[in-house]
This record gives sequence, C-alpha cells and structure tokens, in this order.
Amino acid sequence: MNATINYAELVYALRPEIALTLGLLLALGYDMAFGRRMSDCARRGVAVLIGIVTLASAVFQTLHTNVPPVGHAAYWFHGAFVYDTLAHGVRLGVFGLSALTLLLIAGSIPHSALRTPHFKHPAEYVAIQLLATMGFSLMAVSNNLLIAFLGFELASLSLYVMAGFDKTSRASAEASLKYFLFGGMAAAFMLFGFSLIYGMTGTIVLPEIARALAVQGPSPLLLVALVMVLVGFGYKAAAAPFHQWAPDVYQGAPAPAAALIASASKLAGFAFFARLLFSGLGTVSGDAINFGGPAGWIMAVIIISAASMLLGNIAALAQTNARRLIAYSAIAHAGIMLLGVIAVRAEGAGPLFYYALTYGIATIGVFGVFAAIERTAPCQRISDLAGLWKRSPFLALVLFVCVLSLAGIPPLAGFFGKFYLFAAALYLNGLMSPAGWLAFLAIAMSAVGLYYYLVILKAALVTNATAGTSASTEKIRVPLGTVIALATSAALTIALGIWPDVVLGLFK
Amino acid sequence: MTIGLYHYLVLAVTLFAIGFFGVLLRKNTLIIYMCLELMLVAATLALVAFSRFNGTIEGNVFVFFILTVAAAEVAVGLAIVVALFRRRGTVDVAKLNALKN
Repeated sequence: MNATINYAELVYALRPEIALTLGLLLALGYDMAFGRRMSDCARRGVAVLIGIVTLASAVFQTLHTNVPPVGHAAYWFHGAFVYDTLAHGVRLGVFGLSALTLLLIAGSIPHSALRTPHFKHPAEYVAIQLLATMGFSLMAVSNNLLIAFLGFELASLSLYVMAGFDKTSRASAEASLKYFLFGGMAAAFMLFGFSLIYGMTGTIVLPEIARALAVQGPSPLLLVALVMVLVGFGYKAAAAPFHQWAPDVYQGAPAPAAALIASASKLAGFAFFARLLFSGLGTVSGDAINFGGPAGWIMAVIIISAASMLLGNIAALAQTNARRLIAYSAIAHAGIMLLGVIAVRAEGAGPLFYYALTYGIATIGVFGVFAAIERTAPCQRISDLAGLWKRSPFLALVLFVCVLSLAGIPPLAGFFGKFYLFAAALYLNGLMSPAGWLAFLAIAMSAVGLYYYLVILKAALVTNATAGTSASTEKIRVPLGTVIALATSAALTIALGIWPDVVLGLFK
Repeated sequence: MTIGLYHYLVLAVTLFAIGFFGVLLRKNTLIIYMCLELMLVAATLALVAFSRFNGTIEGNVFVFFILTVAAAEVAVGLAIVVALFRRRGTVDVAKLNALKN
C-alpha cells in the first residue's frame, strides 16, 4: 500500500468514463447556452446526437485498450480495476445498448395532442443516461468492493431519476419512488454484506478476499454476509422473491428508461455479480456438482434462480398489461441468468454474457415498439396492440422477431443464448446434480413462457382492431431514430443467432 | 469493561434492524427515507469498527464515499417525493397503488 500512486494508470483505466463525463457536460452546456432558442425537435436531436457521439467515443477508447488473452487479466491501480475479456465485452455491450435506448427517445414523443410531451428537457435526460452508463462501465471493470459499490450506486441513482422523468405522469413518479425505496434498501443490504466481508478479511480487493477466505473457510458470519449480498443483488436483478418493484417500474417508467433498466443494467449487474462471486468469494462457493456437498453461495443462487423462473413464468400468464408481462418475463430471464452465473464455472463467462446481451437487444426492440405505438395511443394492455400489423407492418415485424427471440425460437439469438447456457450448466455434471435439475426446470419453464409470448404476437399480428376495443386504427409514423434503433435490434437478434461465434468467440 | 469490536457490531446490527423494520412497517415516505439512512449508517459504523480493529485504512476510506453517496441518494429521493406529491397530493405509500394489472 506504500507504492507510489500512478495517476497515468488511473486515467488509462478510466478513459471511457472520462469520455462520458466530457460528453454529458457538453450536452448540458450546449443545451443551457442554445437550447431555449431552438425548437423542441432540434433540441432533442442535438441532445441525442451528442449522446450518440459520446458513446461512440467511449467505444473507441474501449477498443484501444489492450485486452489480455482469454483466461488472463490485467490489474490496474493497485488492483482497483481488472481488465479481461468479460470487462471488455461488457463495456462495449453497455455502450451499444445505451446508444440503442438513446435513439428510442426520438420515437417516444407523442405527435398528437393526446398527451403532453414528457421529454421537455432532453439534454438532462441524455446526461443522466450517460451517468448511468458510466456506472455500468465502472461495474464492468471494478475489482474491489468500493469501486463496485460506487458503480452500482451511480447507475442506480441515475436510473431512479430516469424512471421518474415523465413529470406529467402519475405512474412515472410512483414507479420511480418504488424503484428508489427498493433500490435503497438493496444498497444498504449489499453494503452491510460488504462491510462484514471487509471485517473478516481486512481487505476490499476481490482476489485478496478470496485468498483470505481460503485460509479461514466458511463461518456463520460469512454466511450472514453472503445472504446480505445476495439479497441486495437479488433486488437489483429483480430475482424472486425480491422482484416486487419490477412490474411497477416497467409499467410506469418512460419506455426508453424501462428499456435501459431491462438491458444494459442487467448486463452490467450480472457481469459484476459473476466476478464478485467467482473472483472474490470463489473459495466458499460450495458445490453444485453433487448433492450434499459443502454449503456455500451456489445453493442460495440455485434457490433464487428456481424461484425466479417459477414465479416469473407463472405470474406472466395472468397478465393483461403488456409491459407487466414483459416485466414478469424479465424476472424469469433473471432466473436463467442466475443459472448462467453458476455455469460460469464450466464454460467461463461466455454463455452468460451472450445471453444477457441478446436478451437486452431483444427487450430494447420490444420497448421500442411500445414507445412508437404510444405516439398515437396508449400502449399498456395487450389488447392495445390489436391490429398492429395494419397500423405499421414494420413495428409488427420487429415485435415478431424480438418476442420470438425472447421466447427462444431458433434461429434467433434468444434460442442460442438458452442453448449455450443450458449446455454449460449440464456440462457441470449432467442431469444428476442441482445445476442439472435447475437446467431441466429452465427448459420446462421456457415451454410455459412460449404461451404468453404467443399471446402478445397473436394480439399484434392476428387480432383486428374492432370498434369495441380500445385499440386505435390510426397509422403509425415511426420517426427516423426509432427506425434505426428497431432495425438494428431486430437485425442483431437475427445475425447473432446465425453467427453466435461473433460474441462467443471473444471468450475462447 | 472495555468496549471491543463485539460491542460495535451489536450496535451496528441493532441500528440496521431498526432501519429495516422501519422501512417495512412505516407508511410515511419521509420516515422510510430516514430508516434507509439508518441502515446505511449501520453499515458505516461496522466499517469504521472493522477498520480500527483490523488495522487497515480501507474501511475509513469507504466511509467517506458512503457519506457522499448517501447525500446524493437523499437529493434524488427528496426530488422524487416532491414530484410525486405534486401529482398525487400524498406521500403515504399505502395510497400509492395506481400501478397494477
């Protein structure tokens, strides 16, 4: 600890974050200086453009970082940051997903007088989203508990604001408050767990924690710490039984904000969770290969995962609100991603990363379609989707691709995500192990999931909007930004399904 | 009797429990905020105690950052409450039930 502090290394580690900071200052400064003189549309366009350019420069900085070969990691700034394939992939992934959701902003402005516009301050929204992205990026590279906590909180606090950004909507404010209360409690739990881990090991650097715990072995205090970290993380990831906020937030938040919460936030969260569990607490993981092995966090993760899959899929069957349905399906997907966390032991982080990335892309597509429909009429109930293929064939096509990918139909990316993840889980010790049973449950539950995904598609593609229903028959004009975002997500969903090695190859 | 690590931990756990049950049981949003802060302070206290008895400095450094984060959290939280109160005219969580299936 007496080594000299190398600030050049710190700057090198945080170049993408620095680019994001400069970009958000530019967005705010430009809007403050010139925003009032511009039309709403131009103001929004400039803000989104600055956001996209900023994210592109962050991607550029990330691409010009030396990535160690697979299986190796570089440590920067006395072990505060780690850089390996996972960190590299997650950084690129969250920047890309964040850019896609930024493009949705343009499409979520109602062009009829039906509702008052809720993005009156687009520059502030873009700035806050860049802050959230910075938090995700920090989570991807954090190798100590302090950086991880700061990344988590930076991301969470920004997401609370984004969920409540529509100040004209009663639902948005309520969603934001619920998200904030649950998130604040989760942060406190996680922090208390971190403080106990620090107390037992005397260090906050993950590999050193692992070394200290390997000597000490499991203890009751460690168990308390593990449970608290898992509770905190379960809330953030919306895993059952800590999921109560998710349906409300997905329903009430503005569509672009909900898309970010469902995509980039999940990717960064699960990547960090896998790193924390394997590189920090790997020596007290317990056993997922045989029954009756030593206890550890794997057993707890398996229970949360199974609960999420069961509750998410079964509760989704009963939903009449499309957004809440997507929220419950997100809980089910969180359960599968938790299985992916366990499977990291077998195949590395590749399958988990691929699954979380393709899930995020498909969810952005779905929320983008909802946002575009909301330009003319409310889009909450499943029946509001009726006749979509007549109102806009493009939106119907994107919804078709993205929902089928979420359901896991080949040859779309969602299928191969599930396939590689289950294969990795079964690779641990076949069917006769806790992880194997969990994979079997996940496969069975995916069949249940197929039903409610088809309900959405039936409403959008088969049902006609009749006079009796609330659905509008007005044609939907999709703005350019949304077209780009939706076409990209649909194309990526198909392309990554056909060439999964583009992503998985990074980890081999 | 000397005050040792054990006593600090008991105090921290008690504070955390009070905060947690406050969050679960109270209905007024502002009181719930105060309870959330109490939970963060409990974690802070544990960190300082561990830092002192482990003889490492990281715990104390951690605390500075937690205090900053807690301040930011209050700023965001109160802003959300104000926005909500303008729309709904109440800060009672039992009355916030507009979002359902």
